[in-house]
Amino acid sequence: MNRGLAALALALLLAAGVSAQAPSLGVANARQVVGAPKGAALTGPALEAETKRVALLLRCPVCQGLSVFESPSSMALNMREQVRELVAAGFDEDQVLRYFERSYGEFVRLEPPLRGVNWLVWGAPVAGLLLGVLVVTWSLRRPRAGAAAETNAALEDDPALQAQLLRVRELAYGWPGGTKPEEPKP
Amino acid sequence: MASPRVETDARPALVNKRVLLVGAAVTLPLIGLLLMSLGRDPHKVDSPLIGQKAPGFLLTPVGGGAPVSLESLRGRPVVLNFWATWCVPCYEEHPVLNQAARAMAGEAHFFGVIYEDEEAKVQGFLKKQGSAYPSLLDDTGKTAIAYGVYGVPETYFVSPEGVIVEKYVGPLTPNAITALVAKAKGR
Repeated sequence: MNRGLAALALALLLAAGVSAQAPSLGVANARQVVGAPKGAALTGPALEAETKRVALLLRCPVCQGLSVFESPSSMALNMREQVRELVAAGFDEDQVLRYFERSYGEFVRLEPPLRGVNWLVWGAPVAGLLLGVLVVTWSLRRPRAGAAAETNAALEDDPALQAQLLRVRELAYGWPGGTKPEEPKP
Repeated sequence: MASPRVETDARPALVNKRVLLVGAAVTLPLIGLLLMSLGRDPHKVDSPLIGQKAPGFLLTPVGGGAPVSLESLRGRPVVLNFWATWCVPCYEEHPVLNQAARAMAGEAHFFGVIYEDEEAKVQGFLKKQGSAYPSLLDDTGKTAIAYGVYGVPETYFVSPEGVIVEKYVGPLTPNAITALVAKAKGR
């Protein structure tokens, strides 16, 4: 009985050893795409922390703007497991992202990398904001100041219009002679 | 006497040319994009894997048997159909694929890959509907991820040399299968 148990335990240990040594198909596929792992193999809390960090950078393809770490969908769960497997084998962040990018395209990255036309994604909001500030500043200052200056210049050149305006102000505000009286000094 | 100063607003023109120009510059490219998209086939998805070596797999058939690897299928085109029993369009597609697999026996390999489903349900479906080709279990979902699957049905056409030639999204039609297998063969 004891011999039988010992043999079973040995067989299990050997099987575990063999499966631990042979790279899984996911790791083998990743090696073909991004080459040998560049980092150190991770285990325990370091593996969990790195898995979370990288999974937060990957978009769940079937969700609306959720990362693979945040989404409860089964696809995200499978992708998270694959991230864990790759990180455990020593693939670094860039390698893991490039592996998923090969299947899903750049869309799978939650943050588009700063290259090519992606500069527009990062630069356009800033450029738009600056342009908006410029337009608002320009429209607040230029037209009103210009119109008032033109009107005042026209009044100075036209004594008849000036007299009319003074009369209107006298009637409307009760200012003697149409000119605003000076405030009594305290 | 101080000269009276007033602030007046000029009467606005009916059409502000500057606003019109800026509006046109923003909306015309958007309208152009919309018109370009109207002519696109929604079943055609530009997968980054097209023209690339198909990811390898080693999957067990539904109901048991020796695992099947992609490497063992070299020499003929491979039709890899990701499907599930919970997917309604897959019911519509299944007889079409069965018929094509029978008609092209010896010409192309047909395989189903089960996507997020239970083996017992798949066995029940296949018993009821029949199948002219094996379906493989992808329990960990890694094969679906390696192929960039978004949902089902999605079908990949692989050349005899193992290169992905086309990805088809949605239920296949007999004409599409014939045309895409021919494309995978390089004809």
